[in-house]
Amino acid sequence: MPAHPLRVAVVCSSNQNRSMEAHNILSKRGFDVRSFGTGTHVKLPGPAPDKPNIYDFKTTYEQMYNDLVRKDKELYTQNGILHMLDRNKRIKTQPERFQSCKEQFDLVITCEERVYDQVLEDLNSREQETFQPVHVINVDIQDNHEEATLGAFLICELCQCIQHTDDMENEMDELLQEFEEKSHRPFLHTVCFY
Amino acid sequence: MASGVGEQAHGSVASQFYSNEEETAFDMTTSEKVVELLNQAALISTEEKLIVLKQVQELIINKDPSLLDNFLDEIIAFQTDKSIEVRKFVIGFIEEACKRDNELLLRLIANLNMLMRDESVNVVKKAILTLTQLYKVALQVSLSVSDMQEACWDMMTQIKEDVLALLDSDNDGVRTHAIKFTESLIITLSPRTPDSDTPKKQEGDISLDKIPKDHTYIRYDTLCEEGKSALEQLLKFMVHPAISSINLTTALGSLATLARQRPMFMSEVVQAYETLHANLPPTLAKSQVSSVRKNLKLHLVSVLKHPSSVDFQGQISTLLLDLGMSQSEITRCTPATVQPRKRLHHESNALFVLADAPLAEDDEDKEEPAPVVTPKPSSSVGTQSAIDLTAEFLLPLLTPDNVANLVLISMVYLPEVMPASFQATYTPVESAGTDAQIKHLARLMATQMTGAGLGPGLELCKARDEEVKEEDGGAGESSSKDPLIIRKLSAVSLGQAISVVGAPAAYKSPITEEAPQIKKLPEPILPTSQPKAPGASGRKKVFKLADVVQPFSEAQIEKLSNMAIKRILLSEKVIAQSGMSHVRVKLLARLVTQFEGGKKNDLLQFILEDMRGRSELAFSLLYHEYNEYLSQQPSGSLDSYEHCLYTLLSGLQEKPEQRDGLFTKLVLEAPVITDSALEVIQRYCEDESRVYLGMSTLKELILKRPSRQYQYLNVLLNLSSHEKEKVRSTALSFIKRMYEKEHLKDCIEKFALTYMQFLVHPNPPSLLFGAGEDTEVASPWTEETVRQCLYLYLSLLPLNHRLVHELAAVYTEAIADIKRSVLRVIEQPIRGMGMSSPDLLLLVENCPKGAETLVTRCLHILTDKVPPSPELVERVRDLYHKRVPDVRFLIPVINGLEKNEVIQALPKLIKLNPIVVKEVFNRLLGTQHSNTCLFSSLAEFTTNLCFGEKNVYTSEVLAVVMQQLMEQTPLPILLMRTVIQSLTMYPRLAGFVMNILARLILKQVWKYPKVWEGFVKCCQRTKPQSYNVLLQLPPPQLASVFERCPEMREPLLQHVHSFTPHQQAHIPASIMAVLEANSRKPEPEPQPELHHPEIIEEREVF
Repeated sequence: MPAHPLRVAVVCSSNQNRSMEAHNILSKRGFDVRSFGTGTHVKLPGPAPDKPNIYDFKTTYEQMYNDLVRKDKELYTQNGILHMLDRNKRIKTQPERFQSCKEQFDLVITCEERVYDQVLEDLNSREQETFQPVHVINVDIQDNHEEATLGAFLICELCQCIQHTDDMENEMDELLQEFEEKSHRPFLHTVCFY
Repeated sequence: MASGVGEQAHGSVASQFYSNEEETAFDMTTSEKVVELLNQAALISTEEKLIVLKQVQELIINKDPSLLDNFLDEIIAFQTDKSIEVRKFVIGFIEEACKRDNELLLRLIANLNMLMRDESVNVVKKAILTLTQLYKVALQVSLSVSDMQEACWDMMTQIKEDVLALLDSDNDGVRTHAIKFTESLIITLSPRTPDSDTPKKQEGDISLDKIPKDHTYIRYDTLCEEGKSALEQLLKFMVHPAISSINLTTALGSLATLARQRPMFMSEVVQAYETLHANLPPTLAKSQVSSVRKNLKLHLVSVLKHPSSVDFQGQISTLLLDLGMSQSEITRCTPATVQPRKRLHHESNALFVLADAPLAEDDEDKEEPAPVVTPKPSSSVGTQSAIDLTAEFLLPLLTPDNVANLVLISMVYLPEVMPASFQATYTPVESAGTDAQIKHLARLMATQMTGAGLGPGLELCKARDEEVKEEDGGAGESSSKDPLIIRKLSAVSLGQAISVVGAPAAYKSPITEEAPQIKKLPEPILPTSQPKAPGASGRKKVFKLADVVQPFSEAQIEKLSNMAIKRILLSEKVIAQSGMSHVRVKLLARLVTQFEGGKKNDLLQFILEDMRGRSELAFSLLYHEYNEYLSQQPSGSLDSYEHCLYTLLSGLQEKPEQRDGLFTKLVLEAPVITDSALEVIQRYCEDESRVYLGMSTLKELILKRPSRQYQYLNVLLNLSSHEKEKVRSTALSFIKRMYEKEHLKDCIEKFALTYMQFLVHPNPPSLLFGAGEDTEVASPWTEETVRQCLYLYLSLLPLNHRLVHELAAVYTEAIADIKRSVLRVIEQPIRGMGMSSPDLLLLVENCPKGAETLVTRCLHILTDKVPPSPELVERVRDLYHKRVPDVRFLIPVINGLEKNEVIQALPKLIKLNPIVVKEVFNRLLGTQHSNTCLFSSLAEFTTNLCFGEKNVYTSEVLAVVMQQLMEQTPLPILLMRTVIQSLTMYPRLAGFVMNILARLILKQVWKYPKVWEGFVKCCQRTKPQSYNVLLQLPPPQLASVFERCPEMREPLLQHVHSFTPHQQAHIPASIMAVLEANSRKPEPEPQPELHHPEIIEEREVF
């Protein structure tokens, strides 16, 4: 087992549901984890599909929570948004945008292909300095509470396996293949360099 | 301040600690703190140690770099720490220290070198990362510090080579790091150009363009070459068929970086992308293919965004379209400034440039102030063109027909299972058939062809490169003039393109020095097959073979097994020397029996190359095939066995010099003779040079394989009517021998009779006509076809006389033409039977109705040379008197008849046609009855009987009789009487009689007084025609004539006088003397009738 814990980033679109669910579980399991969104704004479901609640990344979870309670407490309680925000604000104060974070990770896990593409684009657009590799893995997770929970467990299991490898880079390929078989979903995987 | 610290003596931490205790507060504090921390670090746990060491690093590098030199050794000492993390820290420290003070590298490089060889891959990886940074530092230091030891640079160069070699490492991560190092190395060792897209933080980094050309040990050329070589290695690495997905991703990214930072490599990069896109490694899983494609797309876009991509926009957009990007997106990523420079335009330029290199440089150098090598060496343009040229060459060839054919042909090579890479990358071709798509297709094919070392473009470029090399002479850069082509060739030799191109397996890389490189490439790049430290892993993985191995394609399996068998085949001599040939034979036979098609044929071919030497193998294979058939009973098929036997037998037949025993052996020892094998045997029999071998083998088969002997016999029997004489006669002689075998007799006889029975049909049956003969079935009987039906029968006839009755039966029913033919062909066998044959006698006795001519013919044949036997005469007489009163029967036996019988029959005989009569006389006169007795009866018959029958007894018959009589010796007394009498009846026989008389003179007729008398009388009666005959008499005899007939002299003399002087000169003087003997007086009066031209004429005729 490597001396230092795996530095993990979990990324979804708005840093609300999927990435936060995984963040929650991973940090409970002792990982050095951070979570991010890649969207330009943070979007939360609104009263209708075409009327989402849009915030910028500076808005804290607390503020969002209060905003939604004010708007329609019953609706947002019923659809679990308030519960989610409540959980989120206990993890960190506000959503973070991946593109704005200059910290280096060993592993970035994205929750949908579009996010994966954005992460790759961002990492590749950065100027290379240390050539420190970072593995980016996409695990497709539908954006709802149940899938987010299931997905978080899958991500957690994956991270644990990776953490336990002797030589992560050498065994990653094989490991992912195994996981693909087990979970019946394809994982996109690539490596970028800081 | 710094210098003060720098002058401090090196020593143990403790001594420094104590000796410097009293120094200034600032120094004291930092230095003291460092010493204290270092002391702690020696004792505490790893995690704390790392924290402490990081503090030290912070203190001596950032806070007070002047301390760096002092504590360097103490920190470096941790490089042997048990903890990987600590060792990694040391590496990181070295990096930071050297960046802070470049000259420290001089001291630290050896340590780095050592850490590069650490047992932990994580340490090695960290070392590579650091080297990636420090290589530039080393180069910088070597340039700026004059007393920098050359050895340090040499070591760095060596370490660089070591890292490059790690591209072949077993560890995926190490390879990944090595790729990044290579990327950075290439950038450093190539010149930065104005269009280079350099990251801000690397603005100050050293690169090739900053290297002076007069440095003592840093050689510009060498570095340039090293850079190119590194690029080559990277490109080669990328086309390894078993490259891992992460390595590939890394390499793709590195190429993009190279293209952006060193646009001079744009061509190679785009080329590599193109090749990769068309040849994704077959080892990639489906999701990996998606990932790689995603990366490819990303990097292509980033390359496309670079202004220097202008020349490659066509290729890049095509690739991007293939990768699923829309045209509008692509356009958005295309730099706007490049529109005026059309790619096509450039291409045509490039072609022109090829022929005129200076122009190219002119074109490129405009924006390049730096004194650097031409960033686009002609080679890159050349390769560009190789594909372009081949594509242009292909374009007009891609007609719907050709394409359809290509598709059909390639069907064969398609793998059983759709490869993941294909499945992932396949998008329906939307623009199928459009010019653009055809161009794209041509380009794709050209890429493959160039990759496989084929195509007109490549040849042209090769030729060009050689020219360039010659021109360059010994110039340093010529050696790696064309890295791309080399790379592509090696790609093929690595088997990369096999799955797409088809089967260039036998392709040999012309660049021989690549070979060891290939071997060095680690096979376990496959992610799953990497060795793991036993027991070290936290979680055990169950080893699953299926994960580790990729199933071979059918074609690969086929190829490999073929090669394996070929090796066994070719090891013939070696194995023979070891005395284990029998094992090899058995092995081959067993192996090959279990495969279909190709291998079997290979083996058979191999056997046939030296049938004698490899007969053991042949038999073994044959038996194995048969065994295989038996083991699959009852449903088994003999096909395979049959094919084997057939090929061997036919192969033997085709070898002209083959010893024959082998053929017989093979046939006789084969477990089963199949139909096709029998056909080969038949072919042998029909081959004139092997007919004996073939038939004796067939005979053996007939005699020794009773179960199917009739089938074999039938082959032989069929050959008995073969058109080739040699084949037929050999077959007949074999059949005759076999006819002696009781059990075969019936069959042979039946066959012969069946054939003979054909003769009663109106037309010959079609089976008489061998294949290839263009005769229509309803053709009439010919002599040949009739014979064909009879050959066998006739050769059996002398052996079994009873068969003759069958002939008679057939004969009576046959048409006249056939009858005639039959009569012609029976001579030999009938003679062979002899007149004592009871069956023949029986035939004569019975003489079926309609077979009279046959019987007659038999009689003639029998009595032709020998007189008839009493038995025969008896039968004929019997027949004549009791059943068929045809006098012609009697002719053959006439000289066996009693005298009175002959005389009785003569009148009837004489009424037959003259030829027959002549025959009769020949027989009568030519046999034992030729005595005076018979002559007198003959004379009697002539004078009294025959001459009376004037109407039937023609002059021709008389002429024959006269001729016959005259040829007798001694001359018959009644000869002249017959002559004179004939002349009386037929005066027109005079000419013939003259002939007779002249010939009698030759026979010295005067010696027979009676005949002589007749002779003179005849002359008297036939004057004046006889004058010419008289003149031929010798003088004494002429005188004798005149004595008997004095009145002849005068006319004869007159006759002679009527001759021309020339003619007269021919009359001997002695004759003239006799003519003029008594009367001297000349007779001047000419005799007009003597001048009749006829006489002259006759004289001349005579």
